[in-house]
Amino acid sequence: MNIEGYEFPDGLYYDKNHFWARVEGDLVVMGMNDYAQKMAGSIVYVGLPPEGKKLIQGKSFTKIESGKWLGKVFSVISGELVAVNEELEKRAKLINEDCYGKGWMFKIKPDNMNELKNLMTDPAVIQEWLKTEIAEHGEK
Amino acid sequence: MATQLQLDEKRRKAITQCSRCGFCRAVCPIFDLTKRPITNARGKMILMKEVMEGKLPVTEGVAQALLRCTTCMNCTVNCPSGVDPQEIIKAARKDVVGLGYDNLFKKMGEVVEKYGNIYGEEERYDWGHKKGSAPYILFVGCVGTYREEESVEETIRLLDLLKIDFAMIDEVCCSGVMEDVGYKIKEELARHNVRELQKTSAKTLIATCPYCYRVFKEHPSYRNLGLEVKHITQFLKDLDFGVKTNKKVTYHDPCDLGRHSGIYDEPREIIRKIAPNFVEPKRTRENAMCCGSGGGLRGSFPEDSIEIARNRLGQIIEETRAEVLLTECPSCLHNFRNAKLRRQKIEIYNITEFIAKLLQDQGKKEAA
Repeated sequence: MNIEGYEFPDGLYYDKNHFWARVEGDLVVMGMNDYAQKMAGSIVYVGLPPEGKKLIQGKSFTKIESGKWLGKVFSVISGELVAVNEELEKRAKLINEDCYGKGWMFKIKPDNMNELKNLMTDPAVIQEWLKTEIAEHGEK
Repeated sequence: MATQLQLDEKRRKAITQCSRCGFCRAVCPIFDLTKRPITNARGKMILMKEVMEGKLPVTEGVAQALLRCTTCMNCTVNCPSGVDPQEIIKAARKDVVGLGYDNLFKKMGEVVEKYGNIYGEEERYDWGHKKGSAPYILFVGCVGTYREEESVEETIRLLDLLKIDFAMIDEVCCSGVMEDVGYKIKEELARHNVRELQKTSAKTLIATCPYCYRVFKEHPSYRNLGLEVKHITQFLKDLDFGVKTNKKVTYHDPCDLGRHSGIYDEPREIIRKIAPNFVEPKRTRENAMCCGSGGGLRGSFPEDSIEIARNRLGQIIEETRAEVLLTECPSCLHNFRNAKLRRQKIEIYNITEFIAKLLQDQGKKEAA
């Protein structure tokens, strides 16, 4: 789905902190959405915490930085961090180049997959929310 | 409109004084990364000579080439002809801006005027520390406040643990960096800081950031400050901390603290008190390689800047096999932390932050 020029692929879960989630077997993969990566500009750093770190849905657990902006990464689900995208260590701009693909950030083993129900999947809801975000924060 | 560099006689002479020997290549952090002749001092001196003599026009390419310098001064201390290239490069940056080749720092100047910090952050976390009168004022700067706030928190904790009677002010960016990237200091911001400082009864200003320290010490806009200005390592060097680490510790000299300010011994005096197992990197003191964050490079070419920090960090690890890297500069700290790879186990701290952590660990052990 394209909303106001930003890609929000169908079949993903989206949170209001501008991260997406995708189920892969018994894991959840997460990354940054298209609107957020465009607003951030060229991303130069993502903190990659050690595997095993306990994450809580909606709580920040690391930092992300572009040339002009420093933000927090919020977990899309509670659970254990089991993998990080090590490609981002030297090429954080993969998030800009392919935020839903090669720019994925973390894989999490959820405590309870049902927490995904707290995220947005309905295109109408996502569209309404994004328009509100654009009105508040502007767009690129 | 003029089309050539308008450098003064002293700088013109310095440009011709460069013997083009290229000794600066081996110490230039950007040449080390790119291996491109234009990125080091020799290349820029040749370019400036040709532009100065009208053989080459000033272009956007010239303006961009001049931005590729961290102003680290490593070329200066290694120049057999006694030239200080970074000083000339900074003057040339102003010249090309004057010729209409604005760079991205024009926008940063607008941001810093509007928000009082280089990042355009609207809210400033002040750690809840007291403001107002005290013998000492702590000034932490933009990078510490907005990029390494956890480190600043530990520095504040350390001063509190040492029972230093200090206050903070509603500080804004010292804005001295504008002078290095083609523009001028923001006088209104400087006046704000001077006013806020003079409202206190403080006799001493303690700067955690070596660049802010230099601006307060050297820039005419802060001439009438009426306070003694100290970098935090100068302030702490005579104190005892009552704590030690067994870890192997090394130290990176920030360019603004070392080559620019001549402060080499104070950080080492502090470190030797807390870390008996202290080891110097091979390239250290006036020969220390730059972390890549200075001279506007982190803003204009952030990926190169972080890659330079990665090179320097790799050197330090290889040369020292240290477990802990200390420095005392928020920009160096931030760049190294961004650059560190997951497989690199070295811990990276500002000295003050590290001591505060040691004291806390000791307190926990005593309580247990």
